[in-house]
Amino acid sequence: MSQTVTPDSDPVQENDDVMVEIRDLKTYYQGTGLFDRNPVKAVDGVSFDIHRGETLGLVGESGCGKTTLGRTLLQLETATAGEIRFNGTDVTTLSGDDLYEWRRNAQMVFQDPDSSLNDRMTIGEIIREPLDVHEWKTPRERKQHVRELLDAVGLQREHYFRYPHQFSGGQRQRIGIARTLALEPEFIVLDEPVSALDVSVQAEIINLLEDLQEEFDLTYLFIAHDLSVVRHICDRVAVMYLGHIMEIGPTEELFTDPANPYTHALLSAIPEPNPTSDKERIVLHGTPPNPRYPPSGCPFSTRCPARIRPDGFETLDDEIWTGIRILRELLRERRRAERSIRERIRGRLGYETRFGNMDETYQELFGELDVPAEVEDILQSVIEHASRHDEQCAIDELNDAFGSVCDGFVDSVEDETHKPELYTVSESGRKSYCHRHDETYREPDTVFEDRSNS
Amino acid sequence: MSDTTDSPTMAQDELADKPLRARIKENPRPALLWFSGVVILILLELGRVLGAIGTIGSAIRFGLSGLATIPNWFGGNVSDALEGTDETLAVLGGALVADTAAIVMLFALASVLAWFVLPWRLIDRIGFESTRRIESIVERILLTLVLVVGAALYAFTPVGTFINAEIAFAANLLDSLSSTIPSLTSRELIPNEGHRSPDGGWEGTFLGLSPAWAWAIRTTVVFVYALICLVWAWKGYNVYRDHYREADWTPRDDTIRRFRGHYWGIFGLVVVFMFVVMAVWAPAISPVPIEHNVFSPYSHEFDYLGDDGEIETITHGAANLQSQSNGQNTVSPMTYDEYDRFAPLGTTPNGQDLLTNLAHGAQTSLIIGLTAIGLGALIAVILSLITAYYKGVADILTVLASDTIIAIPAFLLVMLLSVIFSQGNHPVAEPLDGGLLLALILAFAYWPGMWRAIRGPSLQVAEQEWVDAAKSYGQKPSAIMRKHMAPYIAGYIMIYASLLLGTVIIVVAALSFLGLGITSPTPEWGRIINDGRSYVSTSSWHVSTISGLMIVFVVTAFNALGDGIRDAMDPEADVGDDAATTGGGA
Repeated sequence: MSQTVTPDSDPVQENDDVMVEIRDLKTYYQGTGLFDRNPVKAVDGVSFDIHRGETLGLVGESGCGKTTLGRTLLQLETATAGEIRFNGTDVTTLSGDDLYEWRRNAQMVFQDPDSSLNDRMTIGEIIREPLDVHEWKTPRERKQHVRELLDAVGLQREHYFRYPHQFSGGQRQRIGIARTLALEPEFIVLDEPVSALDVSVQAEIINLLEDLQEEFDLTYLFIAHDLSVVRHICDRVAVMYLGHIMEIGPTEELFTDPANPYTHALLSAIPEPNPTSDKERIVLHGTPPNPRYPPSGCPFSTRCPARIRPDGFETLDDEIWTGIRILRELLRERRRAERSIRERIRGRLGYETRFGNMDETYQELFGELDVPAEVEDILQSVIEHASRHDEQCAIDELNDAFGSVCDGFVDSVEDETHKPELYTVSESGRKSYCHRHDETYREPDTVFEDRSNS
Repeated sequence: MSDTTDSPTMAQDELADKPLRARIKENPRPALLWFSGVVILILLELGRVLGAIGTIGSAIRFGLSGLATIPNWFGGNVSDALEGTDETLAVLGGALVADTAAIVMLFALASVLAWFVLPWRLIDRIGFESTRRIESIVERILLTLVLVVGAALYAFTPVGTFINAEIAFAANLLDSLSSTIPSLTSRELIPNEGHRSPDGGWEGTFLGLSPAWAWAIRTTVVFVYALICLVWAWKGYNVYRDHYREADWTPRDDTIRRFRGHYWGIFGLVVVFMFVVMAVWAPAISPVPIEHNVFSPYSHEFDYLGDDGEIETITHGAANLQSQSNGQNTVSPMTYDEYDRFAPLGTTPNGQDLLTNLAHGAQTSLIIGLTAIGLGALIAVILSLITAYYKGVADILTVLASDTIIAIPAFLLVMLLSVIFSQGNHPVAEPLDGGLLLALILAFAYWPGMWRAIRGPSLQVAEQEWVDAAKSYGQKPSAIMRKHMAPYIAGYIMIYASLLLGTVIIVVAALSFLGLGITSPTPEWGRIINDGRSYVSTSSWHVSTISGLMIVFVVTAFNALGDGIRDAMDPEADVGDDAATTGGGA
């Protein structure tokens, strides 16, 4: 395993054949409340390139912001910050007629074929509408073009006057694809185009998309959560977690030799057809953090199996680390929750509140474990603070002892803005977003080997 | 992009490409057959059709002249306000404001024309080209200019006088034609007013039959004719579907199929149909012309056979005094009064014919109901589209406005406004003796309810992916609302409109019952009930009972129709076994 690890100041190298350049893109959803100042950070600083003619896969768990990213690229959502340069023009600044003109270059295939076609219109009207909007040639030529598109996506020309009701899911998705192709765009965002379809139909649609890409020289951004489909169709893959790109690189390389701990975990979740396989699954604990309150430091730090551990605790048992991680999430959660007067009184009188009893929590997390005395002292003190509802103090103490660079601590000083960098991890320009690629730390691979052996 | 393919599929496609007119030309027989039926039906009632056109024309003229006073009203207010300061300033300011108001109104009209009406654009004719937004603005400004020039020509040059004279001439022509050309259902063709002759028969009635029979025949002819019209319209739809429609199946087919199996809805449709027929053919169904019997009874006379065997003459007004149904004296349904006038439903407490009042009252209710609901539904649909699409501030403002209106009890609001306008002798309170005013007030009071009812569905449809898809290829917001959202709301608004129509009829009747709604002499059901209220326990029970039952039936029928439409729209309610949702393959 020889990886050339170089921290990269300009995260993306220049490439002549770049079609879309995305730089530090952020899309936040402002809350609807009047005093709601914490936006949901759906896409939180993303930079990558999409090359002409390639298929870039975008994978990640539900809610990681991949659909929002796709919609922002097409200006269906307004970017909060950053740039999207499409053939050199920053499309986030376009409006009015420029935006309208640009829209014909970039189109989208939607996830749900039931909802993406207006079922009061005939197929012909649906596919024709983009042409009408952009006043493409004469009405007669438009109709002719629609018929050719129906041919191109494998439907019959007689379907022109049918209604969407009369078609199956796979056929409806073909209609959606035909509409997408109507304006002959260069770039298409495919938002989970097959996930709502039967498995047998999925293959047909995937093959159709590949054929069309060849025929019309299309560039795809393929958003999916089905990794096997991604491996089949994509040239490069970007792995997304909590609004960040964790790793991006050529598909085969990324699948066979993942660099980022999150990619490791994601790939280990692919079921192995061989029942005797002794592949070790990396099980992630808990759920992704709330994108309204992302963790400081690395977004994956709260669940990372290869998290950098502070000196002195390197040999601590995995289960204790898991306990510490859960405890910290719990404290963060408690810090955000406000205690009502009623709950204060209930707590004072010794009744159960929704905050629970900290001692019980401790018992649950660490009761059956063999916790070293040194660690136990710290934890007890933390628990004591938390029981007095001084969550901030408890978190500070926990972080002092167990915080590392992954949580945004540089030399034991908290630095909220400290984030990992995108390190180039291979010859092909693959990049990974993890502190472990820094020379001072060991690579994720070796850590996984170590930790699974211990 | 060549058209030189010679496959059979291609030929079929070419056929289907044509507009409706071309498709009819290909296969004219069914359409011609149907159209000749329409022509015959119209010819049978030509006099009445021409009369209806004249009435609609004068209503439009009234509306336009009302709108035309608005700029001067603004201007007048301003010059009144400036009166004290400076004479010239007042005149100038008033004129300026009036002109500005006129131009703003014409600009609004131009925008509506450009968006929804005109199939071509002025700027295409003159070859102007720019960005989309500028093109749209320039187009509207040009249209406004054209309209301003037209309006100026009309207002300040002899052209206006000429046009007015032309319109008046056309109106007169229509009037005289409609009264001379016979109609199938006219009282000239089947007269029911006559008198007994001294030798025992009837004179002046249809074929010498008794007035009762003559009236029954005319009423039957009316309903048969209306039924034939309905059947023929349905046949027209079938002809279109079988011969000229390009799609072999549309979602509407399923809706109609579901409605046909909905007996409660069909009951509603039948009663509503009869109600509408009664309103539209009110002059034919009335045994006595309303002009003679109700509006100016003392200027119209009729003959009757006196007790001494001589033919005598009396005015309707004088005869009415002897035909009252007021407890002491009763003319019951299906009887003749002392002067041998036939009263199919008896008479009112002041001696007028009850059916004449009810039939014309149906007209009043229908006009008020349709105007109020039409206007209210229009406001509700437009606002719901805008609020669902843009959300945010537009939504909050509409919620505030509608909540404010809903917070005032609807009935109280209607009463307050109607008192203010009718006591103030506002010109709006004139038509139909306050009927138009009531319609406008009801529209104002009931749009928030309708908006609320369709708010959910419109928010839902705004979240559909096809709306996003339309945005992604740059469709204009107005077109997205019209093409991708409005068709889904149309169904819901139809349901609520038909339910509310019943409510409006009740409210109008209730107001008239209280003496606040439509004043005499315009007939109104609620007022008739009020008039007959004190005689319910006497021999004159029929006055309030019959009118009350009519209201119950009609309102129930509108609710039933609404139910039927709702179930027909809802695919979930589908229990049919021959669902047409098959045939995805070629």
